[in-house]
Amino acid sequence: MSILATKDTYVVIQGGPAGVNAARRMAEFCYMIKRPLNVLAFVYPPDAGKTNEIVYGSELVVVPVYKTIAEATAQHPAINTSLVYIGADRAYAAAKEALDDPRIRVVSMITEGVPEKDAKLLGKHARKLGKIFNGPSSIGVLSAGECRLGVIGGAFDNLIACKLYRPGSFGVITKSGGLSNEIIWLCSQFADGITTAIGIGGDAYPGTDYVTYLEMFEQDPQTKAVVIVGEMGGDLEERAAEWYAARPRRIKLIGIVSGFCQESLPKGMKFGHAGAKEGLKGEGSARSKTDALKKAGVLVPETFGGLGPAIKTVYEELLKAGDVTPIPEVPESALPKLPKPVEQSMKAGEVLVTPLIKTTISDDRGDEPLYDGYPASELINKGYDIPHVIGLLWNKRLLSKQEAEIIRRIIMLSADHGPCVSGALATIIAACAGIGMSQAVAAGLIMIGPRFGGAVTDAGRWFKYAVENKMSVNEFLAYMKQHVGPVPGIGHRVKSVRNPDKRVQELVSYVKGLGIPTPHLDFALEVEKATTAKKENLILNVDGTMAAVLVDLGFPVETLNGFFILARTIGLIGHWADQQRQGSRLIRLFDYLVNYAVPKRREVPPLH
Amino acid sequence: MAKVLEGPGMGLLRKWGIQTPNYVVVSSLEEFEQLTQRHEWLKKEKLVVKAHEALGSRFKLGLVKVGLDVAEARTAVKDMLGRTVDTLVIGQVIVSEAVPHQEEYYAAVKSTRDGADILVASCGGIEVEANWDRVRRISVEVGEFPTNEALRAVVNEAGFSGPIAEKMVEFTAKLYRCFDNEDAQYLEINPVAQRADGELIALDVVTLLDGDAKFRHPDWTFPFAAEFGRAYTQNELDVMAVDSKVKGSVKLIEIPGGDIAMLPAGGGASVYYCDAVVARGGKLANYAEYSGDPPDWAVEVLTEKVCSLPGIKNIIVGGAIANFTDVKKTFSGIISAFRKAKAQGKLDGVKIWVRRGGPNEKEGLAAMRALRDEGFDIEVFDRYTPLTDIVDMALAKKDTPH
Repeated sequence: MSILATKDTYVVIQGGPAGVNAARRMAEFCYMIKRPLNVLAFVYPPDAGKTNEIVYGSELVVVPVYKTIAEATAQHPAINTSLVYIGADRAYAAAKEALDDPRIRVVSMITEGVPEKDAKLLGKHARKLGKIFNGPSSIGVLSAGECRLGVIGGAFDNLIACKLYRPGSFGVITKSGGLSNEIIWLCSQFADGITTAIGIGGDAYPGTDYVTYLEMFEQDPQTKAVVIVGEMGGDLEERAAEWYAARPRRIKLIGIVSGFCQESLPKGMKFGHAGAKEGLKGEGSARSKTDALKKAGVLVPETFGGLGPAIKTVYEELLKAGDVTPIPEVPESALPKLPKPVEQSMKAGEVLVTPLIKTTISDDRGDEPLYDGYPASELINKGYDIPHVIGLLWNKRLLSKQEAEIIRRIIMLSADHGPCVSGALATIIAACAGIGMSQAVAAGLIMIGPRFGGAVTDAGRWFKYAVENKMSVNEFLAYMKQHVGPVPGIGHRVKSVRNPDKRVQELVSYVKGLGIPTPHLDFALEVEKATTAKKENLILNVDGTMAAVLVDLGFPVETLNGFFILARTIGLIGHWADQQRQGSRLIRLFDYLVNYAVPKRREVPPLH
Repeated sequence: MAKVLEGPGMGLLRKWGIQTPNYVVVSSLEEFEQLTQRHEWLKKEKLVVKAHEALGSRFKLGLVKVGLDVAEARTAVKDMLGRTVDTLVIGQVIVSEAVPHQEEYYAAVKSTRDGADILVASCGGIEVEANWDRVRRISVEVGEFPTNEALRAVVNEAGFSGPIAEKMVEFTAKLYRCFDNEDAQYLEINPVAQRADGELIALDVVTLLDGDAKFRHPDWTFPFAAEFGRAYTQNELDVMAVDSKVKGSVKLIEIPGGDIAMLPAGGGASVYYCDAVVARGGKLANYAEYSGDPPDWAVEVLTEKVCSLPGIKNIIVGGAIANFTDVKKTFSGIISAFRKAKAQGKLDGVKIWVRRGGPNEKEGLAAMRALRDEGFDIEVFDRYTPLTDIVDMALAKKDTPH
């Protein structure tokens, strides 16, 4: 047996992410004691109609989210308890809604910073209805072997260490959440563990006080002793002392109160929980509370350190009197274990996972990305530039200064070519249609292909083929004519021998001026001589020039279109931003720009 | 609990129909001079000038001047503004009209577990403090409003009769309405005075509001005052600024003259650590606390401030077994700040004591233990060492088990 949270407790959680986190902790407890998850529903209007997935052992339990408590309890009539994980400004309304539901008997609130008046009103309302309102700022309630409400008890390892998989003989009531866990631990170390531990919250006026819970413990035959951890301020401890002294009690009571340091602090200086405030006329000090407890026959150790031995003393008395019998220890091997996430199992060398993908260029697992092994910041600080990053990520090679300069020029030369070309036009039309940047730029990029900007890879492939096979220009042209078709990288729509492409001239003269071996560029220029002799516009175009140069630099042919795509993306983003800035409106073609080579209007024949 | 200074406190009383003397709050002499042009009463009435700061014993400090004419008030304003009391510089004074009156009474409303108590006495000022047995009270349950009959009964019981009793009934009803609607925790009017025309007027008010209710009071535009009768220090303000930004909490109060620096976790455990220090005869250099799984950087800021406290010999990094505060993560914030402090020489001759449990406790404690290899003087204990034993060891009442 236990109090407040039992095997028959079924829960609705009011709240969003914090509530979901609590549900996960509660699921760990349920899994440990081999009971189904006791969280049946969430109430959180923003997510109403959705579900939350809660890990239970190695499974996921789907828990529905409702808009109101009434819907939740109608769908899950077993619900009898609500946990409130709602912000302080809406906590009152949420708890009131739960208290007013006829099925709900217990409402526990974790919310901190709830106005005192709201807490008092909720406490009064609950008492009137004969229900329990626990909190605010309560860490929760935990009954060993039966039920956990909230995150009380901490991580799974701690649940096991504190033997919370089976009941002991000690009840615990604390204001502080952290100390509830500490006392649970002490009860498991110095005695046989707990029945139920309750965090009542550190506010000045908790919804339910020690006395109510002491009375419940008194009625619970499994509980033989109770530990209460108090604080200066208010009169809850004095009331507990009064209750204990009023008549002989079955349970033994151990108590401790914090706040003695107050006596030697500068006047007016106070700290700790919201409720830890001495009364204006000095009532509620740690000393007066301690004296009241002692006078009532409560066992009060001198310091917190004395609490463990005090618990032990009481436990030994209980043993001697035959009120409790020692609980046999569960052997290590029989203790419940939580399935590990795969990362932990891998770290422990327990599982082998076949990777889904493989990378050879980039590693993001440290504090900064490594490009082919080089930390990005170190590259920056040692004067490397964007072309070097391209070299590392596209070709796994650290370029020389000279090579990087060629790449830089290629990108600068092909960054944009005005609004009329296919790519820019597509981006501009998209921008005018109100399309966002990534899609509009993608529309432009989609145009890159065999006829626009996308000949770099193919040009590179065939120039490389020719040079590798030591072909003459004539052999090459004959081969291309027979097997491939027009030579990629040769020919221009507008430019010709007499109207040369300034970009090509610029790049060729720079690269040739460096005095490095450029067999592919040389071959491409020879090809141009032959093709322009036949037709003026069959010049080596910018794709072909880039291709030849990049193959000379050792870039793999399949990466070559990337240089154009990368460079032109700069222009496309510019065009999109330009249209945004102008506030351009939707455009369409004028019909006079279309040759309507269509049949005249005619009658539609009947459908057969 | 949030203390509110007299000016805004009077403002709240007026909002609920309680009469107060005319007053102005000024922060410069120029402002005062401008206001004398605007308000006739400043020139006509006898005046009271008080420092408008969270200070105890203003009378003794000479920060209350009474019965002044406007020229004397000007001098008083000039003298008080900018004066330094301990660390506090007086930035505001309140100048109010001295109300001629015969009788002084007392009225207060005080928060209780079930609602509030209304307190009345037929004497006021220092007389009521000396004769506390003359105070009469009624309890009002939360969500209720006292009936006139109930108020009349307590007023009569306190010794009022005739027309003044009716006035007092009306006054206490207004006071309770103010208390209830303004989320107050304590309102004390001492004295309540009867003016020549027979009306009751609040001459001084102590106002404590529930700071947690600020979200529903958009007209609380005034700052809350420090409750310790001193101004917050820069370090305390810095930590409060961090506290307001993060989930969970970090808190710091400095206590000059101590040599045991506190850096414990948890609103409950932190006080037990302080108790242990005091019980062993140690002197606290501060109070601190972090809880609710705050981000590591927030704990780092708090740790930096704690390491910077002058003259410290021990740092107590204590804590119970956390429910959901990640020990590894919060300790990594503490460790970063420790390293910085050590490099700055702030930890020379300082011994660090650690005891903690909770999520990822093994990793967190191991990281702390590894600081020994970096030359830190640090002792690290886990959940098997009782909570406050590190304080006993730090104060050499218990041997370090090594």
